[in-house]
Amino acid sequence: MVIILLFYFLALLQNSFFTHFNLLGAVPNLVFILFFLLVFFEKKKKNYLIVPLAIVAGFFLDIFSYTYIGPSIVLLIITGIVLKKIQSLLKNRADNCPFIYFLPLFLIFFVVYEILLMIYLHFFGLSHALMDFDLRFAAGIAYSLFFATLGFWIFKKRPEL
Amino acid sequence: MKAVKDFSINRKKNGLLKFLIGAVALLFFLFILNIFVSPVRNYFYAVSVPIQKTFWSAGASSFSFFGSFLQAGSLAKENENLKNENQKLLAEVSSLQSLEQGNQAQNDASAACQNSGFKLVMAGVIGLDDNDILSIDKGSADGISEGMPVINQQNVLFGKVLKVYKDFSQIMLVSNKNSVVNVKVQQSDITLPEIDGVVKGSGGLSAYLDLIPINTTISQNDVLVTSAIEKSFPKDLLVAKIIQKEKNDQKPFQQAQISLFLDVKAANNLFVITNYKQTN
Repeated sequence: MVIILLFYFLALLQNSFFTHFNLLGAVPNLVFILFFLLVFFEKKKKNYLIVPLAIVAGFFLDIFSYTYIGPSIVLLIITGIVLKKIQSLLKNRADNCPFIYFLPLFLIFFVVYEILLMIYLHFFGLSHALMDFDLRFAAGIAYSLFFATLGFWIFKKRPEL
Repeated sequence: MKAVKDFSINRKKNGLLKFLIGAVALLFFLFILNIFVSPVRNYFYAVSVPIQKTFWSAGASSFSFFGSFLQAGSLAKENENLKNENQKLLAEVSSLQSLEQGNQAQNDASAACQNSGFKLVMAGVIGLDDNDILSIDKGSADGISEGMPVINQQNVLFGKVLKVYKDFSQIMLVSNKNSVVNVKVQQSDITLPEIDGVVKGSGGLSAYLDLIPINTTISQNDVLVTSAIEKSFPKDLLVAKIIQKEKNDQKPFQQAQISLFLDVKAANNLFVITNYKQTN
């Protein structure tokens, strides 16, 4: 319940408060960041939580956009499953969630998520631009990366759930 | 050995079956959800409006507070630019005064006609997504429908209504990548032929001017207003001013960088023209 409210709060925040603090028109995707952090730090035995988390996060991303409800849910489920698969393939260390894994993984998953969303918007006639890698796209990624890094250290410091 | 192999194949088949059932169930759930997308979305916005408005105001006041610190360095330069601009404007005002007197009566009449002709619905801004889609707190229950023009109190064009729900609407801003608006370059000398072009959205609350004929002359700070050939919007709504022209002799048209007049951060309330199509 707390996580649902947190996703809701962040969705509202990124659609209203952060609009005023946009970077070349881009705002951080706080909902995606929280979802990624939750999956990244999730224990292996709790993998079944990926789907409900993706449904909640994706629902809030889609409900506050102008598209159909669904694309973000599907993309987040795929993101979560693939992320856990990759994490299981990575070498186990004393620290299973090091920053050196987190940063490139977040960057890759976020860029892929944004590109797939662009393709979806294009093919459903909701946007004329198919691949629009402009300054705004880069600013959006950098902005989200900053908050993801901040979130990573907060999660690192948090007590075990 | 064979039994172990069969067991492994069965486990794989079971896993695949579970995955397929899960995927079908999810797609069915999404299909049902999208049938009721309008009431679901409307309900969510109705619940969220008070919180979103609070966040929006908090964002605006925080930005103005922090912005004053960030912009302190550029204030002196901006002040100098404003002084220069003011002097230019004073010179222009004196030359325009005579023309203004002659046109005053006609302008008043047409403005009155336009004002009385347009029915406006005031709406509060509650959010903006990263595709330059603005949300307002008025919907079909207030007489708003898709395609209606949206302006502010200074007659600055913001965009048009994209989607309408019962209690709120989504506005496609002029800066949205799908937005194309026919404009004309406002010229001080009315004897000069009209210069038409289009303002195309480029996302990130910005746009550019395109399709200006190569043989025409446009200048920095020229003002762009909606033209008479624009069917979606009333004519003479303020759109943008030219920042820098980009003339390339190899292209049949000129382009220009522009600064849109719409200021989403400063816009707490907007106006939807609800009867423009009927009067058009």
